[in-house]
Amino acid sequence: MTDRIVGALFFLLAVGYALEASRMQVGFLSDPLGPRPFPYIIAVLVGLSALWLLFKPDPEPDWPPRRFWPVLGLVLLSLVAYAYLIVPLGFIVTTTLEMTLLAVLFGARWWQGLGGALAFTLGIYLLFTQGLGVSLPAGRIFG
Amino acid sequence: MDILQALLNGFGVALEPLNLLLVVLGCLVGTLIGVLPGIGPISGVALLVPLTFALKMPPESAIILLAGIYYGAMYGGSTTSILLNIPGETSSVVTALDGHKLAKQGQAGPALAMAAWGSFIAGTLSVVGLMTLGPLLAQWAIRFGPAEYFALMVFGFSTLSALAGKNLFKALIATGFGLMLATVGQDPQSGISRYTFGFLQLEDGMDFLVVAIGLFAVSEVLMLLEEKTPGAVRAQVGRIYLSLRDFMASLLTILRSSVLGFLIGVLPGAGASIASFVAYTTEKRLLGAKARFGEGDLRGVAAPESANNAAAGGAMIPLLTLGLPGSGTTAIMLGALISLGVTPGPQMFQKNPEVVWGLIASMYVGNAVLLLLNLPLVGLFVRLLAVPSWFLIPAVLAISFIGVYAVNNNPFDLLLMAVFGLVGYLMRKLEFPLAPVLLGLVLGYLMEINLRRAMTISNGDVGYLFSSPIAIALWVLAALSLFAPALIARFRKQGLGGDDEL
Amino acid sequence: MKRAFFAVCLVVLGAAWAQFTPRNPECIAPAGAGGGWDFTCRSVAQVMQDLRLVPQPIKTTNVTGGGGGVAYANVVTQRSDDANLIVAASPATTVRLAQGQYSRFTERDVRWLGAVAADFGLVAVKADAPWKTMQELVAAWKADPSKIAVGGGSAVGGQDHMKVLLLGRAAGIEPRAIKYVPFDGGGEALTSLLGGFVQVFAGDASELRAQVQSGTVRVLGVMSPRRLGGVYASVPTLKELGYNVEWVVWRGFYVPKNMPPQAYEFWVRALREVERSPEWARVREQNALGQFFMAGAEFQVFIDRQVNQFRNLSRELGIIR
Repeated sequence: MTDRIVGALFFLLAVGYALEASRMQVGFLSDPLGPRPFPYIIAVLVGLSALWLLFKPDPEPDWPPRRFWPVLGLVLLSLVAYAYLIVPLGFIVTTTLEMTLLAVLFGARWWQGLGGALAFTLGIYLLFTQGLGVSLPAGRIFG
Repeated sequence: MDILQALLNGFGVALEPLNLLLVVLGCLVGTLIGVLPGIGPISGVALLVPLTFALKMPPESAIILLAGIYYGAMYGGSTTSILLNIPGETSSVVTALDGHKLAKQGQAGPALAMAAWGSFIAGTLSVVGLMTLGPLLAQWAIRFGPAEYFALMVFGFSTLSALAGKNLFKALIATGFGLMLATVGQDPQSGISRYTFGFLQLEDGMDFLVVAIGLFAVSEVLMLLEEKTPGAVRAQVGRIYLSLRDFMASLLTILRSSVLGFLIGVLPGAGASIASFVAYTTEKRLLGAKARFGEGDLRGVAAPESANNAAAGGAMIPLLTLGLPGSGTTAIMLGALISLGVTPGPQMFQKNPEVVWGLIASMYVGNAVLLLLNLPLVGLFVRLLAVPSWFLIPAVLAISFIGVYAVNNNPFDLLLMAVFGLVGYLMRKLEFPLAPVLLGLVLGYLMEINLRRAMTISNGDVGYLFSSPIAIALWVLAALSLFAPALIARFRKQGLGGDDEL
Repeated sequence: MKRAFFAVCLVVLGAAWAQFTPRNPECIAPAGAGGGWDFTCRSVAQVMQDLRLVPQPIKTTNVTGGGGGVAYANVVTQRSDDANLIVAASPATTVRLAQGQYSRFTERDVRWLGAVAADFGLVAVKADAPWKTMQELVAAWKADPSKIAVGGGSAVGGQDHMKVLLLGRAAGIEPRAIKYVPFDGGGEALTSLLGGFVQVFAGDASELRAQVQSGTVRVLGVMSPRRLGGVYASVPTLKELGYNVEWVVWRGFYVPKNMPPQAYEFWVRALREVERSPEWARVREQNALGQFFMAGAEFQVFIDRQVNQFRNLSRELGIIR
């Protein structure tokens, strides 16, 4: 069943992708082939393969136990928050928090995780900004 | 000029104390950059260019240092791919396929050692090639036009089934998904934006690194979290040394992949990532049932790691002989050389022999240094696996975040990475292979743009794609690679292929 | 009394000027390491540091994406009053602004600081090409535009394409008939020229020095107001040849729109110091860049005119509607 759903979803993706291509506005200065044919070919490739999947699905995958889904959601949410907060809060604070969360999920005590995360984050922050000249956000709230 | 005499003079330059120090320094920094996921040779080289000016280095010293970083990074890239299934460099993505399986079987040490030996042999061979065939190959490389590149990309896709896994249609969908990602961004041939949905951040297209870290690294962490007992599925310390027998079994793979990687590296616009993909898929199909590619075969590590090092050596050829940069990294080196008063190009061999031959000699030295540096490191790296997961995995992920952020200095890429992390996790659960997505992304852009360039040049004449000997040869190769396995299988069934019975 | 008042005024003014010293100054290069904007940032930052114009080194940040659009949007929306920020720019910035490629942002959303050097456009063919002069090339081109493919390092509508279209217009070739093949940067376009896949190369003077020295290409004309020096001394300008085409690739900066006036003055003066220094002359020399200086109000006017000109041109050539 899962494969059938996935097949249907990819089929829809292919259709949407092709529709979007058909809506592209091209000025008169373009090459003989234009920006559309390549997307059309891709859409056909994905669309046909997706149909195959729809009609000849593999056996069900082994899904993780139900209690894993909240963990997955939490991690993904934390990554999204990380992306939004890295500039305002700075690399050190956000990375320490993210690492601590992951450490706890991997079975560490929170103080263990926090300590390790803080030390490591400070270390790589210095290595990358001072040693390798990579610029990382220092955090606007401190500046 | 006599090559041996020139090389001896080159060694005279390369073995001066300052230059020797710089080779070692370049190799060290390169290895470090290679080991750190997401930080590539481009950033490393760009970073040290100002240093060479500030220290008022002579041009030969500067290029010796910069080149050391470049090929040094190719050595280090395999480390995290093998140990943690997190690619350290875009050119080491395929290394993870077999490398990490090996690590889980307690073979991390041999895999890392194999990567180091493969890199060393390929690196050294590519310097020999650079030295003896350089100008000749440069002439061959510029004969690669849009039609030839298009045929090369078709050949690249023809080996796809080697990455397919159980269900070919899932591999096709994965490839198509990668191709879709490749069409995101401004279309240079018409100037319009495709599939950017108003996001300026997508105008330049999907960055390979962001997609790769998301699909591989983030999804790997999610998979590890799913396994409730931490450490159980993780790679084992296991064996450390590579046996002579395993090494000998991989020797042919290393040699073939070196040649292939070197030739692809010489072509401006192809590069180490494509070289590693093509070497892996070619080897897998050449060896067939004799190897266990995809389940943890040392040759699956040897092929891409040899190819990417050989490609790095090959990429120096257009730079030195024609003054043409074949990749982002060599473009920076070209800029640095010009600023230091050396003009790379045909007369550089006469005008600045100390730079050319000093560099070539230093590359022999550098490859030896890297081998001596990396073999002892194997033991150290393998012991990293004994670090508890609650520390090791978040730590490596944190370094990947830096890599992703540093690509564009833009948090948007971290969001993309999270999205691809989820996509990668679901794809793994549903048994979609991940590598074809990256293959589609890498080859798709070059395939489309070169087809369209060809059509512009030929005013829409399709025959142009088959109009040169190189292009025709590539088309034949692609056809062979697509149909030969099926044909061979049929001959064998009819008892015509006698190899098996012997 | 009056004199004393003046003196006080001067002191106060001087104090106001002297008041600003940048803290953690930053230069944003809106593209990756190794590109033109990156060079502008790093080289000017280095000279400012060598001349001790800034108390701390200027940090260069590469904010890439959207041909500079991501950095532009970032400066306008998030750092519009930052006194310690300068951003590298060039005609690649103004072309995209003119064509509306930076989403809703226009040239008025930032303040333009100045330019410190320039590169110049040129047109070249392979050394063994049948055309010895620009006139010969133009004659062949006019006779059959479909036989001549021009390679450049920018996308359709970008700088290198505009150069070709301008030349075509001056020579009387229909823009639709011109075959332009975009490559990923000048290096790839040049490779394609040497391989004989394109017949003409449109690019910048600094990109081609090595090839001109080694005699593998022939430069038919440069798009500078006067002849260039060095390896290009014998190459005529397009103006000399009767084609009214100029393409000055200035290298300069913009700053956030609401930067405090003292800070703006500080940066303008710093650019003037850079321009006057022998250190900067050496950097220009090493990188084959020409002299070109403009700052403050004068530069602001220059930019306004350039964007307008590019906008009209892009409409006229059919790049935008």
